Amino acid sequence: MFCTEVVVQMAKTVINVANMSKSFGKIQAVRGLSFSVESGSCFGFLGPNGAGKTTAMKIIYGKCTRDKNPGSRMDIYGYDPVTNELAIKYLSGVVQQENNLDDELNVIQNLMIYSGFYNMPVKDAKERIEYLLDFLELSEKAKSKIKDLSGGMKRRLVIARALLNSPRLLILDEPTTGLDPQVRHLIWDKIRQLQKKETTVLLTTHYMEEAFQLCDRLIIMHKGEKIMEGRPENLVKENIEPYVLEVRDAESATQIHPEKLSNRIRADHAPDVMRYYCSEIDLLKDLAATHLKAGNYLIRQTNLEDVFLKATGRQLNDRQ
Amino acid sequence: MIDSKTLQYPPLRRRLYSVWYRHMRVYTRNLLSNGFPPFVEPFIFLVGVGLGLGKYITEPMGGVRYIEFLGAGLLVTTAMFTSAFECSFGTFIRLEFEKVYDGMLAAPITVNNLIVGEMIWAGSKGLFFSFAVLCILSAFKIVALPYGLLAPLVGFLTGVMFAALSLLVTSFVKTINHFNFYFTGFISPIFFFSGVVFPIENLPGPVRPIAEIVPLTHSVRLVRSVCMNNYKPVLLLDLLYIAIFILVVGYFAIRRLKKRLVN
Repeated sequence: MFCTEVVVQMAKTVINVANMSKSFGKIQAVRGLSFSVESGSCFGFLGPNGAGKTTAMKIIYGKCTRDKNPGSRMDIYGYDPVTNELAIKYLSGVVQQENNLDDELNVIQNLMIYSGFYNMPVKDAKERIEYLLDFLELSEKAKSKIKDLSGGMKRRLVIARALLNSPRLLILDEPTTGLDPQVRHLIWDKIRQLQKKETTVLLTTHYMEEAFQLCDRLIIMHKGEKIMEGRPENLVKENIEPYVLEVRDAESATQIHPEKLSNRIRADHAPDVMRYYCSEIDLLKDLAATHLKAGNYLIRQTNLEDVFLKATGRQLNDRQ
Repeated sequence: MIDSKTLQYPPLRRRLYSVWYRHMRVYTRNLLSNGFPPFVEPFIFLVGVGLGLGKYITEPMGGVRYIEFLGAGLLVTTAMFTSAFECSFGTFIRLEFEKVYDGMLAAPITVNNLIVGEMIWAGSKGLFFSFAVLCILSAFKIVALPYGLLAPLVGFLTGVMFAALSLLVTSFVKTINHFNFYFTGFISPIFFFSGVVFPIENLPGPVRPIAEIVPLTHSVRLVRSVCMNNYKPVLLLDLLYIAIFILVVGYFAIRRLKKRLVN
């Protein structure tokens, strides 16, 4: 899934952002964010709602302007959004959080209108649209009205629209939020295919699995700041114990007295769940066997979500 | 750095055209329901005046029959109404509810392109609505062709002028209901105090300067000259007023809407 070789071969940096900040009045949405992205890779922004992911995306494609501080630099394929907004928009495709399709027009007409924005000759546009509808498995819906499309189809249409001009940079702002697992997997599969064709992808998500499946590198954001960066599997390996014991039942959790815990076990209290992290699974098994009833707990391998939890000290869920 | 030859984003006129084209496509999608009323409305209006009101107004107004006087005014009021609706309710819905602009601004188009394209579109609608009235007027032989054919151009200017104004109003509006103030408080009174239904020369002295400030007054004066094929140098001042109005109000509309679209 992660083609290390490919990444090494074309380790050419195409996005370089240094010290990017954005304030809305007194609220600092993004604070001194720096990152760089290699061509053809998928770079993820993981974080709860309000972490500043979307704002960071908007700054890149010129929907937001970053704060003017002297140390702030942006280089998106050689362009700065402040001075070369149009160039960046021309080489990018953007999938925004909300589906903003023209409800009055059908599927093909929606795409034809946008082909005009890219100055595509009508004949080329028609060919490209036919290809994209096929690619996103929407060919049967070519003449459908927008209101007759399901949520997943609308999302795929918005993605098709973003791909019209064969973008070198694809910006996906929560592309699969609210979609069912089938559509989600279909979209993931398409994103991987695009990456093989050297499309650079910037992705925001609050789904850990999505980040883990797609991203070559990712940053975890919290309150506008980058708190961690790395390859997803390394983030897990380097930042957290490999195993966790979860106790969801508050009463059972009181059976385990903190002072009796081995110092090799790290306890983490959340409002509705107790977690015990440890590098040895046997220690957790003993702990569970002596204090807890079967069915009241779960021992599993740690994942990105645990890393996130440790880093931000808060639970990640869709309501945030 | 990318070779600049491969990165040819569309030129300005193309960007404006594609914004205009988007609106045109959405509008003509329901051609029958959108394209029919502009012809029916003036017809009903003129029939009503001709059969009813006209009998009581036997005195010539502004040197012509009342139906000719009123008919000429309708050529621009229709452009004013369509443009004001398009760039208030229409713009607000695209901005806040449908989020159409968010999508468009992710394509290679700047906010300036978007708003200027919007104004040109509203002008085009003004032109079309004026043309529809002209068709009815000439069918009733109220306006003589071919010189009446210039009237839709005045409709275009009127459309752009009210687009600029309505966009500026929209930039202040927080909820869609606020437009009621604009239409009841400004657009409707304009209909009566800009020389459409009676000559502004008949207004009491102190009120007259107010009529000169009202943008539609200048459109009305231009369109009357077109209908009577009688041009005076003073019309240059009306054209100048319209040009300055569009530039100044348009400038502030763009500046304020930009803050709303790009934050």
